[in-house]
Amino acid sequence: MNKKRIISAMLACVVSMSAAAALSGCDSSSEGSSGKSAKKSEDGKAVLEVLTHRTDRVDDGSLDEMTKAFEEENNCDVQYVAYQDYTGTIATRMGTDDYGDVLMIPDDVELKDLGNFFEPLGTYDEMSATYRWADRKMDADKNVYGIAYGGNAVGVLYNKKVWSDAGITDLPKTPDEFLADLQLIADKTDAIPYYTQYADASWTITQWQSLVLSATGDPEYENKLLTDKLDLFAEDGGYYPVYKLMFDLFSTPSVIEEDHMTTEWESSKVWMGEGKIGTMMMGSWAIAQFREQAENPDDIGYMPVPITAADGKQYAETAPDYCVGVSKHADNKELAKKYVEWFTGESGFAEKEGMIPAKKDSALPDNLSEFENAEFFEKAATPEELVGKFNEIDTKSGVGVYNGDTDNFKIKLAEAAFAGKGEDEFKAIIAAENEKWAAARDEILG
Amino acid sequence: MKTKNGRNVGFGQWLRTYEGQKLYVSILFLLIPLALLVLFTFVPAVNMVGYSFQERDQFGVDPKFVGFENYKTIFTNPDYFITFKNSLYYLAGSFVQQIVALLVASILCSKIRAKGFFKGVLFFPYLMNGVAVSIIFLRFFTKGNPPLTQEGTLNSVLALFGAEPVRWFDPANTFLVNCCLVFVSIWRYIGFDIIMYIGAIQSISPDLYEASNLDGANPFQQFRYIVFPSIKPIVSLQLILAVKGAISVFEIPYIITGGNYGSSTFVIKTIETAFKKKQVGLACAMAVVLLVIIIVVTLIQKYFFREGDDKPAKSTKKEAA
Repeated sequence: MNKKRIISAMLACVVSMSAAAALSGCDSSSEGSSGKSAKKSEDGKAVLEVLTHRTDRVDDGSLDEMTKAFEEENNCDVQYVAYQDYTGTIATRMGTDDYGDVLMIPDDVELKDLGNFFEPLGTYDEMSATYRWADRKMDADKNVYGIAYGGNAVGVLYNKKVWSDAGITDLPKTPDEFLADLQLIADKTDAIPYYTQYADASWTITQWQSLVLSATGDPEYENKLLTDKLDLFAEDGGYYPVYKLMFDLFSTPSVIEEDHMTTEWESSKVWMGEGKIGTMMMGSWAIAQFREQAENPDDIGYMPVPITAADGKQYAETAPDYCVGVSKHADNKELAKKYVEWFTGESGFAEKEGMIPAKKDSALPDNLSEFENAEFFEKAATPEELVGKFNEIDTKSGVGVYNGDTDNFKIKLAEAAFAGKGEDEFKAIIAAENEKWAAARDEILG
Repeated sequence: MKTKNGRNVGFGQWLRTYEGQKLYVSILFLLIPLALLVLFTFVPAVNMVGYSFQERDQFGVDPKFVGFENYKTIFTNPDYFITFKNSLYYLAGSFVQQIVALLVASILCSKIRAKGFFKGVLFFPYLMNGVAVSIIFLRFFTKGNPPLTQEGTLNSVLALFGAEPVRWFDPANTFLVNCCLVFVSIWRYIGFDIIMYIGAIQSISPDLYEASNLDGANPFQQFRYIVFPSIKPIVSLQLILAVKGAISVFEIPYIITGGNYGSSTFVIKTIETAFKKKQVGLACAMAVVLLVIIIVVTLIQKYFFREGDDKPAKSTKKEAA
């Protein structure tokens, strides 16, 4: 009797544990079948597993459609796996050896660690001749591990029809012209000239930060902030004009919507398409999404940053989206490299998305047609001794130039502007940020 | 080893007895949940206290010991300290909430029709998900953006009476913003208080009412001298819980305003500090402060509960003596 009880208790334990094991076991084996064990599909073709963040293009099948040409040419089977929370999921998968054959390189991987996870695609000297942004995923030995699948230019999203209805023929070149044009739209049309999308302030307000380098036109500006110990908000720098423009714009109730807290992001795409919204500050990644929702996609335009640099020219920074890399554990590395080359080049994916293709000889997307007077440039690489220092100072000081948390200076500026607090408040806020930044910089750089 | 009957047996044999089995089966069953609890609750909590004395980022790359620097920041930096001020709004709101709840509970305990229906209606918001409540009130307080969006519910109703639409979430008026949020919080949680009070009031012996009726007491006197003294422990318990609630407000402001417009609360700020500003050390210190406040409040609450339990026990002892 007693023995029976012991045995049954043991059995219960064993069963519950093995059930757990079996469940997880099932999981991994099914994972494996798509990844490791079945590297050849039924008809004997090589299988290439591609991990991507573009759930939209995988779900609507356009990526599969596009890849057919590549599959036929190389007699292989490309399988796409898309993750909604890409950086989060991929970090977990990269803890194992099985993270696909080709994947978007997450930015969490430090440059010096790239070689532990990815195959080098070539040296910087070779790659930079053909590709833009070749230095973005490069280790200290100048091996390039990833090529961007496309890039964005920095500018301002607007509805061409609204702007022309207001009688504006020339695009604004300075903040004053920009504000005057918005006022004109307010006077002459029914549209809301500028839509803040403040309900999602934590990310929409960070769009302003991307204008900073373009406002200076100086690829080295971020490095100079460190080496020359400039004030973060120096009046002749990049931060001051951008955030002054934001402050002035948000201080003018006639050109922005009335209630900022209840703005709607998804609807705003439709409204801009319908000509109810004139302008929004968004990266060029947004163009394709807004055009999809517009009655007449050609109405959605993209203009250069309305800030003229000190030398009298307008500039536009171009920056890459995710870079595509080949896993160090890929089975068929040659095929994977071929795929990367094809995907970033002739596939035409970037063109279709309205992004700047990575190949230097390819044409700019036509949504950048209004940038003819603006000069494109790429952010310069950070010198070795300063790598990571900018972010370190940024975190330490609590300034958070790319953040939109509720203590962030962008939120403080915006809310001071909404509340009509005026110029003095602006000066007080940026002075406080200058001080925080300088203190952290001096502590870290010595 | 001894069994219940006092027989001496070896350990192996003892294990096979009823007590022996009770012991090892309990251990086996407890092992997994305890391991999970230790691994996912106690170890992180202890680490958190350690981290709170450090300056560290989210990867924990070379953390630096800074002593009480993080705690100093919380209590001196106005960016962080203001969240305590915002908690006061919720604390003040909960006093209002208690008064209204007590009033409604008294009404519901008197002789009225459809008591059950009203109880259900009043309790319903408490059952709703906080996120849903927040989204409902986001619509409720909307000041429209003509021509894009219509006025929200409240402004539409006000318009029926010829009032001008009001901008409820006005960045220039953080007092109003916080009051709106406190109102939502009251609306959501008042049902729970009402039910608690009804329970307390109904436990009062009807004889007391009858006696007071014979003595000619009016309803107010009945409340003052019979109802209130009987439910005093519940009132104090509710007030203590209100302190706990006021410091840990999260979902309502987080969803409605995202903590903007000066409506940030302590928990929102903690999350932002950890995951947006990546100052994990400071965020841990904030979490520890919150933990300490909650523990203190819980201890006080336990103390009050014990008082309530002990008193009748003491009195019976006296009677027995």
